Amino acid sequence: MCYKIKLIHFFKRRFEQDQQTKASEPKGMAILNLGENIKINPDIVNKACSLAVGAHNSADKPYILQNIRGSPDLVIFGFPGNWSVNDWYAGESFGETKINLELFPSLRSIGIDEHAKVNKAFLQRFDDKVLTNSDFKNKVQKAVTERKQILFTGHSTGGSIANLATIWFLEKYLRSDNYKISPSSPLCVTFGCPLTGNHIFSHALRRENWARYFINFVMRYDIVPRILLAPVSSILLEFQRVLQFLNEKSINLAHASINSFDASNFYMKVMKNASSVASHAACNLMGNTNLLLETVTNFIPLSPYKPFGTYVLCTGNGKLIILRNPDAVLQLLFYSSQLCKEEECTDVAQRTLQQHFGYESELQDSFQMLNEVYLEPLEQLPLSAESTSDIAIINAALNDLGLSTRARLCLRAAGELEKRKIGNKDSIDLKKTDIEKAMKYLLEDYQLNCGYRGLGCYDAFKLQESSKDFDANVKRLELAGIWDEIVEFLKRYELPDAFEGQSDWIDLGTRYRRLVEPLDIANYYRHLKNEDTGAYMDRGRPKRYKFTQRWFENAKRMPAGSSWESCFWAKVEELRIKTSNAGGFAQVKVKEEVLKLEEQVQKWIKGGELGKDVFLEKSTFMKWWNTLPEEHKSKSCIKNVKDS
Amino acid sequence: MGTEASSFETSEMLATFLASTPLLSESWRLCNISNTSTPRGFLVEQIGDVGYIAFSGNQTVGNSEPSCRNLVPLMESDGNALFIPLHRLNEGEEPVMVHAGLLQLFLSMHISASFQNQMLALMEKSRPIVITGHSLGGTVATLCTLWLLSYFQSVSSPVQVLCITFGSPMLGNESLSKAVLRERWGGNFCNVVSKHDIMPRMLFAPQASFTQLHFLLQYWHLSMNCPRFGMLAQLHDEDKADLFRLVLCHLEVIAQAGEEVAKSLFWPLGSYLFCSEEGAICVDNAVSVIKMMHLLLMTGSPYSCVEDHLKYGDYVEKVSLQYLNQGSFMQADIPESSYESGVAISLQSLGIYSQETVAKPVKDCLKTARRMGLRPNLNAAKLAVSLAKINPYRAQIEWYKASCDESDDHMGYYDCFKLRDNSKKGAKVNLNRHKLASFWNNVIKMLDNNELPYDFNRRAKWVNTSQFYKLLVEPLDIAEYYRTGMHHVKGHYLKQGRERRYEIFDRWWRERKVSVDENNKRSKLASLTQDSCFWARVEEAREWLDNIRSESDPRNLALLWENIDAFEKYARKLVDNKEVSRDVLLKNSSYNLWVEEWSKLKSQLKKCSLQFPDYVNGKVVP
Repeated sequence: MCYKIKLIHFFKRRFEQDQQTKASEPKGMAILNLGENIKINPDIVNKACSLAVGAHNSADKPYILQNIRGSPDLVIFGFPGNWSVNDWYAGESFGETKINLELFPSLRSIGIDEHAKVNKAFLQRFDDKVLTNSDFKNKVQKAVTERKQILFTGHSTGGSIANLATIWFLEKYLRSDNYKISPSSPLCVTFGCPLTGNHIFSHALRRENWARYFINFVMRYDIVPRILLAPVSSILLEFQRVLQFLNEKSINLAHASINSFDASNFYMKVMKNASSVASHAACNLMGNTNLLLETVTNFIPLSPYKPFGTYVLCTGNGKLIILRNPDAVLQLLFYSSQLCKEEECTDVAQRTLQQHFGYESELQDSFQMLNEVYLEPLEQLPLSAESTSDIAIINAALNDLGLSTRARLCLRAAGELEKRKIGNKDSIDLKKTDIEKAMKYLLEDYQLNCGYRGLGCYDAFKLQESSKDFDANVKRLELAGIWDEIVEFLKRYELPDAFEGQSDWIDLGTRYRRLVEPLDIANYYRHLKNEDTGAYMDRGRPKRYKFTQRWFENAKRMPAGSSWESCFWAKVEELRIKTSNAGGFAQVKVKEEVLKLEEQVQKWIKGGELGKDVFLEKSTFMKWWNTLPEEHKSKSCIKNVKDS
Repeated sequence: MGTEASSFETSEMLATFLASTPLLSESWRLCNISNTSTPRGFLVEQIGDVGYIAFSGNQTVGNSEPSCRNLVPLMESDGNALFIPLHRLNEGEEPVMVHAGLLQLFLSMHISASFQNQMLALMEKSRPIVITGHSLGGTVATLCTLWLLSYFQSVSSPVQVLCITFGSPMLGNESLSKAVLRERWGGNFCNVVSKHDIMPRMLFAPQASFTQLHFLLQYWHLSMNCPRFGMLAQLHDEDKADLFRLVLCHLEVIAQAGEEVAKSLFWPLGSYLFCSEEGAICVDNAVSVIKMMHLLLMTGSPYSCVEDHLKYGDYVEKVSLQYLNQGSFMQADIPESSYESGVAISLQSLGIYSQETVAKPVKDCLKTARRMGLRPNLNAAKLAVSLAKINPYRAQIEWYKASCDESDDHMGYYDCFKLRDNSKKGAKVNLNRHKLASFWNNVIKMLDNNELPYDFNRRAKWVNTSQFYKLLVEPLDIAEYYRTGMHHVKGHYLKQGRERRYEIFDRWWRERKVSVDENNKRSKLASLTQDSCFWARVEEAREWLDNIRSESDPRNLALLWENIDAFEKYARKLVDNKEVSRDVLLKNSSYNLWVEEWSKLKSQLKKCSLQFPDYVNGKVVP
């Protein structure tokens, strides 16, 4: 079995690497290696955990802070949790809301332009209590100025606040390159933290390569990370009492108890909803095509939340199981708290609540052994609980989490999906040469030929007088085919999350857009499609250009819609229609638009986004511009640019 | 493609998902109440946002028992036009037929005031609606769902409908099942069928003995009311054995025929959730459903096939509670491949051991179902790629049109193509025309064979591309038709020569979603004539004009006159609205020549207006 050999090889290598990294660390100081260049000293995790749990005693404060000497110094910000239903679910069934893009501009998917969703109660608390009404910003600024390492932490809902604080920090300091001191700073370490955002939230963090800063410790049975998989309506009855219990427990560990009837009901209801979410997600991961799947989701609202970051699952016997794939984590959250036997129910139900307060002692035990297991590669996990020797470590870990064959298949499916996404990316990477070749033709041969005819590409293409124009049209269609395929992939989230942030494709997309979109516009106005469907900008612009423009604007931190130079000709065509209509240029609004365009043209010519061929005598632009009133032309900035 | 190695069997996962929702258990609870408390009727209840309507399984089917297998065409029996979308059919297809007795049952319920009022109230309150029923009640629920889906489609309502039946007999023929898929309603039907229940399989057998069935129904109805009552109408063991053998034997014949020959009158519709003591799986491919029905019945007995019809409560409860447990694996060695172990889980959920003889055919059946499920999306993706490849051919025709429209003979591409010599240019365009035609014919063929996604003809990309193709190329097809004199052989293009694909594209275009106002005034001529049959109409008008000169019978003359008049109005309207492309108005285009000739004739007629005073104003008084 070739794959088994590969697998042995893989684990051996991984083991050797781990040994090496451990050996290279100073003696006596074990390091928790989370992969992706994130390493953390267990002492710090312990300290963060105490601070996070201790923060509950200062529930009225927005956060607490601890300085730790070291090289460099470390500041830990800890956020307390909250224990009323409204602190979890604000309003609607899952309490989610659209993200505030002014605060978190990156939390969206770029091409599709869909905003992430986040738990409303958590967002409000962070915004009101931490950001607006405390000295949090100043304290963070101080730490940054002093080049200190920064760690955000929280237990329970405090963890969700820590998540948002971290993203706010990343947006503010990392995106603007104001703070780069170590690959492990800032960090966000949470303990038993509820889910915070939806799939776009998770997607965006992975695209920005920020998911690595988030480390979530979760005890195998802890119910809190699973609660938001259920709509509030389904659990309301027991949730009050569970929260009361958690609140008492947070103040005094010893003096809290909960009716086992309530605990069992709560556990069963949360699990039933978690089962719906997990099996629905699994059907999609596994490529189920039955239309029933879609219909049923209209009847049963499913939780929108999705994990992100690195998850460290504590098995309860000292093992730390590490995985990063958000789809896999979601499956694991459900399957790892299933029952082994029905009789366990009451017992497990109690444990799901007790374990929420077991992090400190569990982690101290685990760190003594430092027995980490990486669940990778997911698509090759063993399916049977009966261990075969070569993958015994992984198999033991899966058994410790109580994962059935069904559960293991779901994890594999998550791994396969990721693999497929990478395969899709590889297949379009192969088309890069085709794209470059077609673009080269348009950029060199075609442009040259148009030049001979005293025309820019736009006008030549619009006139379609030579066979070269026909060849160019074929190239345009070829390119459109490739780019439309990419857009289709993106619409179905079938490329790796990082894709829309990758500079090579952003660059290629931008060059493509500037070169070929004018031809599409020419074609559009040549066939008078504006009269069938409306102005190009409003109704006719293909997604392949909208997407690539958004990639560019996101990468360059430009305001949305500001990089529309490739639509220049569409604007000219529309203005041409407007100025030739009754009233025309005399209308204030039209005149404003003309002035604005002229100003832009000046900028674009200087920046090289627009070629000088727009000023050719026979160009649509010049022909139109020449029809403008003399008085305007003599004062226009175009006059100088054109002649220079 | 290597997808096999990394693929998954999902029929069990889908069933797990369904079972984890409250839909199955709530539906069954209401069916159960309805069986005992509203015999021959239904009950309505609102649970959360979801409205439920449950039809009692305790129904009597008019004077024709369900055994009669009496199918009637839906279109003819649908006096109140309740199922209009199901009337449309593809050519060569049998009309949609449904069970006469069951249809009658629904129709009589539908006209009752109580039904109308309660449905109205339900539709007002709830966003999504579940329609459910046990036994015969489930088939009524299916008809009710078809009616509601038709109604909601006609008023463009977004309300979602889901039909959940428990152990219900088949309702209609294969055309019904296909029509449901075509309307993209396949996902709105979930039929729960227990492993051995004979009821859903009954209609696959021709006419079972009337008395047997009568007793069987009676036994079931009494048992639904109270299990003890059932004892009063117990069937003889020999009768049960006969029935079991009869159904099994007929199912076997149908199941083995496979997809090539649909020998059964009745055909499954929507998804089937097969459940056993151990779990459930969900399958939607009709052929696989029939096979599965057969294979599972093979593991049953004359006793279980009757009793299983009454056990849905137990099954539903069991699958609804499964989510809590990890579930242990019976099979000793679990296959390493994801797909094989998924299949093993499915088999276990059906309560089939790997040693059983049916294990192998069940596995094959799941495999086929999965392959059939994946095919449409794969095909659509492949088609998109081949479309990109043939696009340049279309571009060449566009190029041809542009160069003809601008050439010095002022004929336009229609006439150029029709009168073309043996030049390379014309031959090449003709070749491209053929290539495009074969591409689109293939698309239609795949659609007819259900090899494409069910909403394929609603996807903007395909609707727009096909429309553009039609506008550009159909004129060439017309030109070729008249060039080769086909109209002498077969008759005019419009009646006899038009390819089916164009009619289908017309329909796609008509049925597309149109956003905001379409009545933008054109400032210039369209780039393509908006009626792709324009030239065919011109050809007919030319013939009329020729005939008018030689015609002497005044009645025929009047008819010709009327035709010409209508054409002239039609053409003028197109031209006035600028819905024709420039080639139509070129000096030497057939249309322009016709207009000239027509006005010449008119002025001639004017001269002799004394002779024919009535013709002058285009009015005819015979």
